[in-house]
Amino acid sequence: MSTILSDELLSGLMAVGQLDVLVGLPTLNHSDSVGPVVRAAHVAFNRELARERTALLNMDGGSTDGTPDIVRDASIVDRETLLASQSLRTRHRISAPYHGVPGKAAALRAVFAAADLLQARAVVVLDPEIASVTPESVAALARPALAGDADFVSPAYARHPLDGPLVTQVVRPLFRAAYGLALAEPLSGEFGCSGRFAARCLEQPTWESEDLRLAIDLWISGMATGDGLRVAEAAVGPRRLTARPRPAVAALVPQVLDALFTCLRLQEAGWAPGSRAIAVARSAAPPPPPDPPANVDAAGYATLFREGLSALGGMLERVLRPATLEALRAGAAADRPHVPDDLWAAVMLELAAAHRHATISRDHLVRAAVPLYLGRVASFAAELAGLEPRDADERLEALCLHFERSRGDLVALWTAPLR
Amino acid sequence: MSDALWYKDAIFYELHVKAYSDANGDGIGDFPGLVTRLDHLKDLGVDCIWLLPMYPSPLRDDGYDIADYCAIHPQYGTLDDFRSFLKAARDQGLRVITELVLNHTSDQHPWFEEARSSPDNPKRDYYVWSDSDDRYRGVRIIFRDTEMSNWAWDPVSKAYYWHRFFSHQPDLNYDNPAVREEIWQVMRFWLELGVDGFRVDAVPYLVEREGTSCENLPETHEVVRELRRRMDAEFPGRMLLAEANMWPQDVRPYFGDGDGFHMAFHFPLMPRIFMALRLEDRKPLVEIVERTPEIPASCQWGLFLRNHDELTLEMVTDAERDYMYEEYARDPVARINLGICRRLAPLLDGDRRRIELMNALLLSLPGSPVLYYGDEIGMGDNVYLGDRNGVRTPMQWTGGWNSGFSVADPERLYQPLISNPVYGYQAVNVENQRRQQNSLFSWTKRLIQVRRSTRVLGRGTIEFLKPANHRVLVYVRSLDSEKILVVNNLSGTAQAVELDLHDFAGAIPIEMFGGSLFPRIRERPYVVTLGPYDFFWFKLRWL
Amino acid sequence: MAEAILSTLRETWSGYVEGLRLVIPRLLAMLTVIAAGWLIAALARAITGKVLGWLRVARLSERTGAAELLRKAELPPAERLAASAVFWLLFLGFLLAGVDALGFSTLQALRSEVGLLVPRLAGALAILVAGLVIANVVRPVVLLAAVNAGWPSASLLAGAVYLLTMTIVTAMVLDQVGLARPMVLTAFAIVVGAVMLTLAIAVGIASAPLVRRLLDERLAARARPESDGSSHL
Repeated sequence: MSTILSDELLSGLMAVGQLDVLVGLPTLNHSDSVGPVVRAAHVAFNRELARERTALLNMDGGSTDGTPDIVRDASIVDRETLLASQSLRTRHRISAPYHGVPGKAAALRAVFAAADLLQARAVVVLDPEIASVTPESVAALARPALAGDADFVSPAYARHPLDGPLVTQVVRPLFRAAYGLALAEPLSGEFGCSGRFAARCLEQPTWESEDLRLAIDLWISGMATGDGLRVAEAAVGPRRLTARPRPAVAALVPQVLDALFTCLRLQEAGWAPGSRAIAVARSAAPPPPPDPPANVDAAGYATLFREGLSALGGMLERVLRPATLEALRAGAAADRPHVPDDLWAAVMLELAAAHRHATISRDHLVRAAVPLYLGRVASFAAELAGLEPRDADERLEALCLHFERSRGDLVALWTAPLR
Repeated sequence: MSDALWYKDAIFYELHVKAYSDANGDGIGDFPGLVTRLDHLKDLGVDCIWLLPMYPSPLRDDGYDIADYCAIHPQYGTLDDFRSFLKAARDQGLRVITELVLNHTSDQHPWFEEARSSPDNPKRDYYVWSDSDDRYRGVRIIFRDTEMSNWAWDPVSKAYYWHRFFSHQPDLNYDNPAVREEIWQVMRFWLELGVDGFRVDAVPYLVEREGTSCENLPETHEVVRELRRRMDAEFPGRMLLAEANMWPQDVRPYFGDGDGFHMAFHFPLMPRIFMALRLEDRKPLVEIVERTPEIPASCQWGLFLRNHDELTLEMVTDAERDYMYEEYARDPVARINLGICRRLAPLLDGDRRRIELMNALLLSLPGSPVLYYGDEIGMGDNVYLGDRNGVRTPMQWTGGWNSGFSVADPERLYQPLISNPVYGYQAVNVENQRRQQNSLFSWTKRLIQVRRSTRVLGRGTIEFLKPANHRVLVYVRSLDSEKILVVNNLSGTAQAVELDLHDFAGAIPIEMFGGSLFPRIRERPYVVTLGPYDFFWFKLRWL
Repeated sequence: MAEAILSTLRETWSGYVEGLRLVIPRLLAMLTVIAAGWLIAALARAITGKVLGWLRVARLSERTGAAELLRKAELPPAERLAASAVFWLLFLGFLLAGVDALGFSTLQALRSEVGLLVPRLAGALAILVAGLVIANVVRPVVLLAAVNAGWPSASLLAGAVYLLTMTIVTAMVLDQVGLARPMVLTAFAIVVGAVMLTLAIAVGIASAPLVRRLLDERLAARARPESDGSSHL
């Protein structure tokens, strides 16, 4: 029988014993970024969670750049922090390989198995690619579950309304429409949860699925809709990624869309019935001011939108309704791209349904969505020009509400093919 | 609690209402007093209360001599008080079973008074009469300390009547259909009130036949089946628990094919647990369990360490009985009716570790455990009270006036409290122990919690492992894919044992009380070390 | 004279009728064989489709990625393709058998030649199918990549790639069949050579400044999606 936990890891867990907070850190060749994350967790243990029994568990997928050594050896270098955070308890730090195909899904499964065995009250999963993790953010993700107030804790980043459009225009509203869960960051690679949530995830049979490996972060967020689970959000400040190069937009958008649509398919049984939104408890702390917005190349996006729509018309005719495609063409032909909320919701819902039914190659479908996405970003950026951040936030919320109201459409398209 | 097999998961708690709590200040416990103590039972974590006889009775056998089956003894309250108690118990999620004395009544029961009045009385045949005491020769006498014969001469009707117990307890005649109908109406009465079942006293002796032992006869089983049929038809989900102090193979027929008793006490197991502990050898315990026949899937054994009666040594050999007397009842005053009349704690010299181990065995062997009131705090006994009264003293609630049992004058209590420095109520009481995290009460609560966290211990099979070290008793309880490995050190010294667990290779043992992880089981022998009287319950997980 | 003409006509007519008497049964036989062949092939197609459905070939082709490949090539699903192949193979066989039934030595000789040709035809068919699949896979891939990279005239580029692929495939098919080999080779060389030469002259010599300016203007104005998508997350 194959095992999730290696003997080496089990040995480490035996030494840890029962604990209150387990911090999981999946890595694969993250030597450039993992050190600060480990240090932040270490300080969180000693300063923010001084009385709790804690452990850091690094599940490594076979790094060849010495990541596990860095995890084991990372220490606090700042003298003031060191003095201020002397530990009351033995702090365990385990770095071990995990069984299974390398990938975040296998790593998370091992973290959940460890949390279940150690009867952890709270689990925090950190992302080594997020540079803005702090001891306070680690504690903020742990506390609601530790206090027994929540089973799933999603981070809420201080974002400018134009920042992260893949999340704000695509993932967040569609996730909300399907799951009825108003999470700001369903795609986040870091989160907190209770031991109960970890045990429930562990019980799921989908761990071996190829699809899960693609969509693990969204799948975890989707699991929060389970019966009897309480969801909270924790304000963790701005979000900054590490400096390592990331895929170009043309590759990133298909990746995210594929993951999102796949996740909807994997968890269609867990979609919220009706349009009831699940309550989300928000941290009372005022959010810090967001980072300045990234520049949006509106003109460039507009050109790509127009030309893409023209070149891919034949392909898009097979996945979008005629009225939707016509409206897109009209929007592309305008002086400035015009993709209003209702049109954008229709586009996303129809693409999601087409992906589910594999009307055309799923790979082609998500790639064909890139110019449409850029058109929407350009359109939205133009709308937001001159608006105060608070008004801009309200526009984002209005978009999400629009998607929620279109849930009936999504369900109808999902269950009956377009053609 | 709508599961039809609820008794397989339940933990029973035996108590006498007179001994529990007195509300009206007359020195005798009553139902209103019992209601005020239900939260203690809820807190402890038990599921079902077994009430000892509470019927109108001359109380010459502590209520087992019943004078009216369908009423409550005025000392304990009224029928309305009983109804209120039932409702309060239900509100707390507690079931209730009551005593049903099938075999005999008091000689002051109206039926007997009518029966003896004339040979032509319609109720004459409710009892077993004879003109001589020659019938049923050779049948053993149960209360041999006090009775010389199973026949008693009735000067009123000038005839002998049959009694297997005290002479003031004439046996009912189950060959008479009217008797069976009367008994069914008695059962119906209580079932309609809402009791969840009955503990049926003295079942083996219902029917007599010449040339037999007059015990366990086929006709007796048929009586039981008939009552069970009628109960299932009108009151599904209720339970019948047999008191049949017999060898397991003789008790087996009482289950029928699942159409007889739901439960029966496993009498022979109990003394062997004590023996195994004293001998520091698992042999007696393993043998009796392995000799226990399979019972129908819907049936269950009732396990106990102590109860309101003596620790019976009927189902052991003479050598074993002698050993038990020497080890556990050096003072002959504690010996009664082929048994030892002491509570659990004094039997184990007040040794906390042994008490814990015995309770752990009780809750991990196959069957539903029955706790005797007071044993959860380690109450003591008073062997000088005579008969079995020494183990039926008032419950010790506090260190104050009458231990919180009653506001009456201490001299008015139905029996004196235990008051010696070791087990006295000032030292051993519920209030003290609730305040202490490591008290026996707190520990017993935790034990029950762990037991309730799984169905395996109540419903699973048992497989003994037999390592070379005979002082260590090891078994695996299994239910579907769930497995629990139980390791017990029966000796007073630390032990190491190598276990062959290759059938469970790959599993991670998780100690159930603290959740600690133990090394993964491999093909090679698995070493476990235990302190004196220590035990482990391991849940096996494959991860 | 008239008698001779009439006699000749009579002989010709009887010869004609005789010929018809010989040919018509064979013609009918041929048509029967072809019709029966069509029916049998159609039945075989239906049975194949059912059997493949029962064997869950669709699920197998999804799992192996064949379905995705066929979708990318805009071909029908695997089970329908297989059923169609069964149909055409069977029908072709019956067609040849029908031709045989006519009994014309010329046609029989032709059938033999066709029979000899069948392996090469099969090879050519395989090359054509493979070529079609490749061309239909490559076209949308090039199209999407070009669109998302912001390249000018992405459709034109994708179309040109498709055309080039099919040209090569066609040449390979004709070569495999062995028809007019020298002509095919020459024509292919001429077409490709001409295209290359035209491009070289246009870009490199005659219109260098113009093309350069055009490219500069178009490319300068061309948007490039960011090479790092971090800000979109």
